[in-house]
Formats: sequence, structure tokens, C-alpha cells
Amino acid sequence: MTGETKENLENKYYDWPLFKRILGYLRPYRFLVVISLLLLLAVSMLGLAGPYLTKVAIDDYIRIGRYEGLNRIALIYIAVLVGAFVFQFLQYTTMQYIGQKVMFDLRTQVFAHLHKMSFRYFDRNPIGKMMTRTVNDVEVLNEMLTSGLILVFSDLFTLIGIFLMLAWLDWRLMLMVCAVFPFLYLATQAYRVRARDALRKNRAHITTLNSTLEENLSGMTTVQLFNQESTQYRKFWEINRDKLKEDLRSLHYNSIYLPSIDIFSAIGIGLVIWYGGGRLVQGEVLLGVLVAFLMYLQKFFEPIRDMAEKFNIIQTAMASSERIFELLDTPEELPNPKHPQSVSRIAGNIEFENVWFSYNKEDYVLKDVSFSLKEGESLAIVGATGSGKSTIINTLLRFYDIQKGRISIDGVSLKEMNKQDLRRHMALVQQDVFLFSRNIIDNIRLGNASLGLEEVESVAQSVNSHHFINNLPFKYEQELIERGSSLSMGQRQLLSFARALAFDPRILILDEATSNVDTETERQIQDAIHELMKGRTSIIIAHRLSTLKTVDKVLVLKHGEVQEFGTRQELLRNKGVYYDLLKLQMELSD
Amino acid sequence: MKRIKAFIPYLLAYRWEISIGIIALLATDLIGLAIPWILKNFIDLLPHKPSGSELAGYAGLLFLAAIGQGVSRFGWRKYLFGPSRKIEVDILNKLFRHLQTLDKTFYQNQKVGDLMSRATNDLRAVKDFLGLGLLVVLDAVVVIVAAVALMIAINPRLTMYALVPLPFLSILFFGFIKTIGARHTAIQENLARITSMVQENLAGIRVLHAFVQEEHEMKRFDDLNRKHIAKNMELAKLFGMFTPSLVLTIGIAALITLWVGGKEVIAHQTAIQSGEVVENAFSLGSFVAFNGYLLMLSWPMMAIGYVINLTQKGLAAMDRIQEIFDSRSSLVAEVSAASKELSEGGIEFKDLTFNYPNEPDPVLNNIDLKIAAGSTVALIGMIGSGKSSLAQLIPRVFNAEDGAIFIDGQPIREIPLDRLRSHIAFVDQEPFLFSTSIRNNIAVGRSDATDEEVDTMVRCVHLTPDLERWPQGLDTVVGERGVSLSGGQKQRIALARALIRNPKILILDDAFSSLDIETEAIILRNIQKITHSLTTIVITHRLTITRQVDQILVMEHGRIVERGNHEMLIKNEGLYQRMYTNQALAREMEILLQ
Repeated sequence: MTGETKENLENKYYDWPLFKRILGYLRPYRFLVVISLLLLLAVSMLGLAGPYLTKVAIDDYIRIGRYEGLNRIALIYIAVLVGAFVFQFLQYTTMQYIGQKVMFDLRTQVFAHLHKMSFRYFDRNPIGKMMTRTVNDVEVLNEMLTSGLILVFSDLFTLIGIFLMLAWLDWRLMLMVCAVFPFLYLATQAYRVRARDALRKNRAHITTLNSTLEENLSGMTTVQLFNQESTQYRKFWEINRDKLKEDLRSLHYNSIYLPSIDIFSAIGIGLVIWYGGGRLVQGEVLLGVLVAFLMYLQKFFEPIRDMAEKFNIIQTAMASSERIFELLDTPEELPNPKHPQSVSRIAGNIEFENVWFSYNKEDYVLKDVSFSLKEGESLAIVGATGSGKSTIINTLLRFYDIQKGRISIDGVSLKEMNKQDLRRHMALVQQDVFLFSRNIIDNIRLGNASLGLEEVESVAQSVNSHHFINNLPFKYEQELIERGSSLSMGQRQLLSFARALAFDPRILILDEATSNVDTETERQIQDAIHELMKGRTSIIIAHRLSTLKTVDKVLVLKHGEVQEFGTRQELLRNKGVYYDLLKLQMELSD
Repeated sequence: MKRIKAFIPYLLAYRWEISIGIIALLATDLIGLAIPWILKNFIDLLPHKPSGSELAGYAGLLFLAAIGQGVSRFGWRKYLFGPSRKIEVDILNKLFRHLQTLDKTFYQNQKVGDLMSRATNDLRAVKDFLGLGLLVVLDAVVVIVAAVALMIAINPRLTMYALVPLPFLSILFFGFIKTIGARHTAIQENLARITSMVQENLAGIRVLHAFVQEEHEMKRFDDLNRKHIAKNMELAKLFGMFTPSLVLTIGIAALITLWVGGKEVIAHQTAIQSGEVVENAFSLGSFVAFNGYLLMLSWPMMAIGYVINLTQKGLAAMDRIQEIFDSRSSLVAEVSAASKELSEGGIEFKDLTFNYPNEPDPVLNNIDLKIAAGSTVALIGMIGSGKSSLAQLIPRVFNAEDGAIFIDGQPIREIPLDRLRSHIAFVDQEPFLFSTSIRNNIAVGRSDATDEEVDTMVRCVHLTPDLERWPQGLDTVVGERGVSLSGGQKQRIALARALIRNPKILILDDAFSSLDIETEAIILRNIQKITHSLTTIVITHRLTITRQVDQILVMEHGRIVERGNHEMLIKNEGLYQRMYTNQALAREMEILLQ
């Protein structure tokens, strides 16, 4: 935990390239961005018109006592107000639209990238982390684009506008005011450096705080069973205290810096009064100019204050974007070949030739595994826990790439095909069935919308699922919740069979469930498996003796190596493990 | 109001700081109001050709005012925002403490994500409301009242005209606020849908990729996000109207001032020039000061919207946090004075019927069972037959009815919870490990454990072969920042941390499911070697150890349907016999192929 904090604290300040990359997402909308900036410019300028009009009113009309001119000024003022209203509305909606579009692009990009990631990536990264990237971090970035960045621009425009206005009204008075700037600059620098440090540390503490909280929430029962409440509380309390310290530190900097701007502003006003007042007396400046000057000066320091407030948003957004880009920069581990072999139709001959595979460098889980299956044949894989049964499935579906050897289908190596084309011909039935929080029909056909209710029903019928589905209150329209807990284990199994059959694969891969179900369900499941295997090349990880008698070939794995492989007859003659198992079956059924 | 009441004590804890803050805020506002007045006098002085020292005097006065304002601004920032941040920490600490007292019944009905969101997002909303919200309200009220009063003092008639557009503002405001709220909720709901879609996609990634659903899912995601844009734009259009409307309203007020006020100034000047003496003089300086006060109103007017928004969010967030504080653990302590140390570890269930809170049907029915101290019992049955529920009642993860469970003859409700739990080791199938070193994970319940004791446990649970694979051995950190452990490694670490506490009762809820049978056997033998008279309850789906236990209990539909030893139950030809036959392959595989 402390390691994590440290790592975050040692982050380098590589903000500029990051910033450029974020701006890159604005490129497709550069036309709209330009419009939005122009609108912003217009809004800022119109916002500055008020004091100027007041000046004109004072100098040209009120002081001289001309009524008619005042009416004209009033009309111009109305036009300015309405114009500002319209431009502001257009500017806001345009910017929001751009922000939404960028967020859309970024989020779909992250989502698509996640789908390109290999299973090694998913093994390593917790779901919560990936979710935060796709949802929250993107949202934060949007906030920066639409409110932070734009406000900075608008503040900048206002600042420049006021500056020019002041210079135009009276450049000598303006230069006088400029005397304040070096000090303002120094103060800002001093603030920025310290505030950034405090904010970064604060954020690192918040990360630790949140992960501690999350850990405690997920493991509360464990905490309680081990009477660890006080220990954990103390830990949490300490992190919270550290966080507060940094929080108050950044507040302290803010509390000094922001009021200091007021003092700079006051010095400026004081200078205007002293110097400008003197020149007015000498008749070198008009009263209206002085009034306008004072009004502008008050407006001048607002944007500076504003930018200091936005600093936090921008810093947070930078951190978020850093994390998003880190994910986007993770390379695809199993890229499709550039010129893939076409696999529109396959027969279903499978061959493993001296396959070696490991999840961790030298720890081979499959060692020199070879076997072959002809079209339509079925294979049962048996072996102890950890012998590599599921790994064979994982490599056949190309969830992982093997290190040595060759896996081929109809003579074509897996690496020469598109992963997706390959998988289209296979159906995987897992031991623990994953159900989506959609209705039954969509859980069976998934994205294959070409299957209508009738087709899905007939599929369900052939794997014994129709009966229980039909007994649900909403039948095929019944919505399931994610863990599908409204269905029994047996029903979930049957449903996953229907899913496999709906895709009419050439190759069936089935990990038999080990859980205990009642006799009737057991019979239905066995029936359904039979139906599924018909006419397909099938690989079954077997957990039931009865399954062994229904397949053509058997593969016995031991510690990742092939112990026995062959047809049932061959293995019977061998008198090896398979023979022993069958003997056992005879004894038990006696 | 009632909702805020719960949070008042937090504020009171910082009453001095907050008082200083409020005083500083008032000072800031008053000085701010004085500045246009100083300017007014300055401008009115100008036609009378003031001397250099007079000018310097005004400049100095303004400078002093600014210094005063700067200091008081520092004061309220520090003493109004400071407490709100401290309160945030206080509430979070208290919330954490409270969450620790809640039992599994509560956590079963809550998603961790939702609780997290309450402890972070909602708490932030409360902080903003308590800090920023109260500040802005106070500030707005003071500024509005004082500025309007000063405006009236300068020119009552002009004030009336200038304030004409303002009622329009509040009408606008309350018209908008409801729709904004509704659209905001719609966006949040859609975002929640996006979140859960990402979550589900990641959880079911294996299925999706195996069935080549990437494109279909991306299309669905695309649709959902397009809807998100649409919903966001609906809100944006409203907001795009809202802020400019406020600016427009203030602008119109300024315009009226300029137009009506300007004419009055002209009239005033004409009068002076013609030598008349006018009452209620509206000088140029007054005009400028009036304008200044009007501009001061614009910020509090806009702030109203902000505050209403903050308040809405803050109150809703308070409700959601208060909901957690209002939750109570169902584990009531009924500690009897006579409660004594647990010495043996014998367990007895007397006609126990149990249903989960808010579930109508019992999951356990009329359980009568005696487990002798030091004996080993195997609980078997199908998924959902009630095995885990029964086991979880012993360390009171859930609460059994009164007088149904006894340990060493004492009703468990009368044993203090921490004492009860310190004698029971509960290991489940998917143990939760802390993201700290493996050593600390093992010693979690025994901070005084020596390295030797830890090493003994490591050997006992057969972790020694795994140690070499971890970069820092026992000091390797577990989890995201360290190694990811296999299911079997986690299970063994969990077992070690349970055993090191030297419990009287050991409950293994499918705790060996990821281990092969040989390792399981070794570990069970080791446990027997290092402990004496440990009451052990083993819940298992693999019937490999059932030959060695003292008693096998077969459960079905919340009842114990068969009990006895292996030989008896095989002869019985009931559920046990059938399950045993079904698992023959798996079992023999494990034995044959080790």
C-alpha cells in the first residue's frame, strides 16, 4: 500500500505531451472548435462592451448633458445584451457537443481496445480498474474539455481584451498598472509549484484511501471474523489524516494566493486613482476613461482568480488521461495475421503437434502435447486438477498463444487465421455458465439477431431447455440477472447448451460440470450433450464415467503430458488408466 | 430540515473556526461594499480639482480596504473551507467505523460499488454543501441585503426601476431547476447502464470472445453512448439557456440604470449649472457607485442557481449516507455476565430453523445436531442444500434464532462476539486476502506471531514449494501491486491464517476446492499433527475425505437427510451413495494420475 503511494508521488511531470495528445481528440471537430472559439471571443468582447458604453455615456452625453445620445447608447446596449445571450447559448451548446463527441470517441475506443486485449491482460487486471478507465476517467476528461479548458480560453480572451482596451483608452495609465504584473507573476509561480505538489500528494492519498475502503468493504466478513476492526480502522484513519493534511495544505495555498490577487488589484486601482486622478485634474484624461478603467481593472483580476480555481480540475483530468492512454497503449498481444487464411468453411479436423505452453515463463502447463481428431470425432480429456485440461481448450480457442509446436484445423495453423473467424466455428460450454442480464432469448442467441423466437425455441427443445423456460413467468422474454441466481445449476447448464447449439458450430468444446444435480436433471443433461455432439468434432473435459463410454477417443493428461491417447478400443487393449477407470465403472454399476 | 439535523453535530465540533470564518466573511462583504462608496466620493471630488495629497489619500484608503479584504478573505477561505474538509474526514471515519459494525445481511444487499460511491461521491456533495453551499448562501444574503439597502440610500426611485427584472429571474429559476434535475437524473441512469454494460462485458469476456460477439457488443455500446450524447445535449441546451439568461437579466438592470440614471444625472447637472439647489442629488459619483452595487448583485444572483444545485445534490447525498448510518447490525449482543471462556469446542444445534432476513422460506429446517469437541464432521449435499448457511451460523456471520446453537453448553448469543470469533477459524472457497505481504496475511489475526510460528504454518499448509516462485518469498505483496495468486495458493494462505490463531473450532467451507487430492490429504494430516482436539467441520463437494471423518452429514433442502460414517451410508443406497458413484471418475483420476 505504501509502495503504491510512493509510485504515484514519484510521477514525472510530463504534462505537455499528454496535453497535446488530449487536444488530438479535438482534431475531427476542429471546424466546430474554431466556431466555438470565435463565439467565445465574441462573448468575451461583448462582455467588455458594458464598461466602454458606460464610458461613452459619461464622457459624451451625461457630462455634457445630451439626452438623445443616451437613448442611442441604450439601444446599442440592448443589442449587445441580446447578442451576448445568443452567442453564449450557441457557444455553450457547441462546446458541450464537442465534449460529448470526444467522450464518445474516447469511450468507444477504450471499449474496443479492451475487447482486443488478450486473456493474459484480463488475468492480470481487476475488472474494477478497467471499468474506472472506461467510465469515470473518460467522464473526468470531458469535464476538463468542456468546462476547464474552455474557461481558460474564455479567461484568456477576456484578459487580452481588457488589456487591449486599457491600452487603447490610455496607454500611459495602462503602463502604470503593468507595474503590478511582475509581482503577480511571481506570486502565481510560487503558488503553482506548491499547489501542484499538494494536489498530487492529496490525490495519491485519495487513491490509497479508496482502495483501502474498497478492500475493507469487499472483505468485511473476513475483517470481522478475524476481529480486525480496530486495526483496519486505525490504518484507514491514518491515511485519512495524511490526506487531510495535504488537503489543508492546498487550501492554505489557495487561501493565500487568491486574496493576494485582490491586493494586486487594489494596488492597480490605487495607482489609477493617484496617477489618473492627477492627470484628470490636469485635463489630460476624461472622467469616463477613468471610470471605465476602474471597472475594467475589477474585471481584469477575475479571470486570473478563475484560472487558479480551474487548476485543480485540469490536474485531475491529466491524471485520468494518463491512465486512459496507458490502457490504450497496451499493445494487442495476439494480433490477427496480416493476410489471414480464409476459413469460411471448415470440416473440423483438429491436430495438436508437440504443443508447449506456459502461463508463466518456464512453468510449462502443456508439455509436448500431441493428438489429432478427425472431422466428427469426439474426444474426452481426463486428468487430475491442474493437469492442463482447460489449458488445451484455451489454446485451441486461441485465448492464448502457444510457445512451441503447432495447432491446426484442417491443416491450417491457428496463427494463420483470424481469431474471430476461427472462433466462429467453435462453441464453448463452460463449467460455470455465465449469464448476461438480458432476457432468455438474447442469452441463447446472443448477438445473432437473425435467429427468431421459433428457431430459438426449437434449439432449446432439442437440448431439453424448452420445458423449464416455458414455465418461467415471461417465458423466453424472462429477464435474467447477471449471476442468474433465479435459475438452478442444472437449468443454467441446459441454457448454455442451447446457446452453443444456436451457433451450430463445427467444433464443440465442453467442460462438463462437476456439481451434483438431481437424477432427472442429470439425465436431461446427458441427453442434451448427446444431441450437441451429433455430427460435430467434440472435445469434452470429462468428469463423469458415463461420458467416457460415449466418445470415440480418450486423452489422459498427467502433469501437462499425454499419458494415454487413442480410441477406446486401443486404450482398452493397453490396460492403462482408461482400462482401470472402466473397470471401476463396472464395479460401481454392479 | 430533519435531514440536515444529523449533520449539525459535525458542524458544532468546529464552531469556533466556523465563527471566525463567518466573521471574516462578513468583514469581506462589508469592505467590498465600502469600496464603491469610496469611489463615489472620489469621483464627486474630481470636478473640484483635488490636490495630490487628497488623491493619494483616496488611493491609500482603497489600498487599505483591499488589504483588509485580502486578510478577511484569507480568513473565511481557511476557516470555512477548512472545517468542511475536516468534517468530510470525520464523517468518512465515522462511516467506516459504522460499516465495520454491519453484518453480512447488510453487505449481501449492497453492491460494493454503490457503497463506495456513497462514501466518495455523496460525501463530496455533502462537503460541498456544508462548505461552499452555506458560504454562498450567507454571502449572497449579506451582499444582496446590503447592496440593495445602499442602492436605496443613493437613489430609491432608480433602485425600484433597476430591480424590475429581478423577479423575472426567480420565475426563470424555479421553472428551470426542476427540469434540470429530471434531466440530470436521466443522464445518471444512462451512465449507470453504461457502467454495468462494461462490467458485464468484462466479467463475461470469455463467452463473448468464444462466440465472437465483439462487434455486436461494440454496436450495443455505441448505441448506449449515442443515447448518452443525446441526453447530455438535452441538459446542455437547458443550461446553455440558463446562465446567459441570468447574465441578460443583470444586463437589463444595468441598462435601466444607465438610461434612467443617466438622465437623472444630466438633470442634476443642468440644475447645478443653472444654480438651483436640488434635493436627493444624483451626482456622477453616485451614479458610478450605484452601478458598482448593481454589479455586485450579479454574482449572488447567479450563485442562487449554484446553491440550489448544491443543496439538491447535498441533501440527496445526505439521505444516502444517512441510510447507511441508519442500518443496524442484526447481531445484538446479549452477553450474560456468566459467560466463560470456550474451552472444548463442542457444538450443538437444537431444533434450528433459519431463514435469511427478508426471505420467506427457511433454508434450514429443524436441525438437531451434536458435534463432539475434537471430532471431525463432513457436511455434504448439493449446491443450495444449506451446508454453508449452517456453517456460517456458528461464527455468527448470520444470526440464528435464540437458543438454537450452543458451544460448550453456552448459547452463542451470550458469548461476546469477538471472543466467539477468536476461537473459530472459518475458511471459505474464495478467501479474501488483504493487499499486504503474504506474511502479514498469515499473521493477520495474530499480530504477535513470531517468524517461526509463521514458518510452521507455511509448512503445515504445504506452501513451501510455492515460496520459491514468489520474488520476495513470504514478504511478497499480494494483489494488484504484487503477485496474483492461484486459487489454491489463496486457499492455503487463508488456511494458514486461520490455524495460526490456534482455534478451537475449524470450519472449512469447500476450502480445498482448488487443491489436488494429494495436497488436501497432506494438509489434513498436518493439521491433525499440530493441533489437538480441534473440532473440524468440512464442507466439501469432493467425497475424498469422507472415509476418514467421524461423522458424515448429508443435507438436502435444508434438512439433514442422512448421517453416519462412510460404510453405513454406502450401504444405505441413498443420496450419498449416488453422489459417491457419480464422482468416481473425478476421484479416481485424481488418485490414479498423481
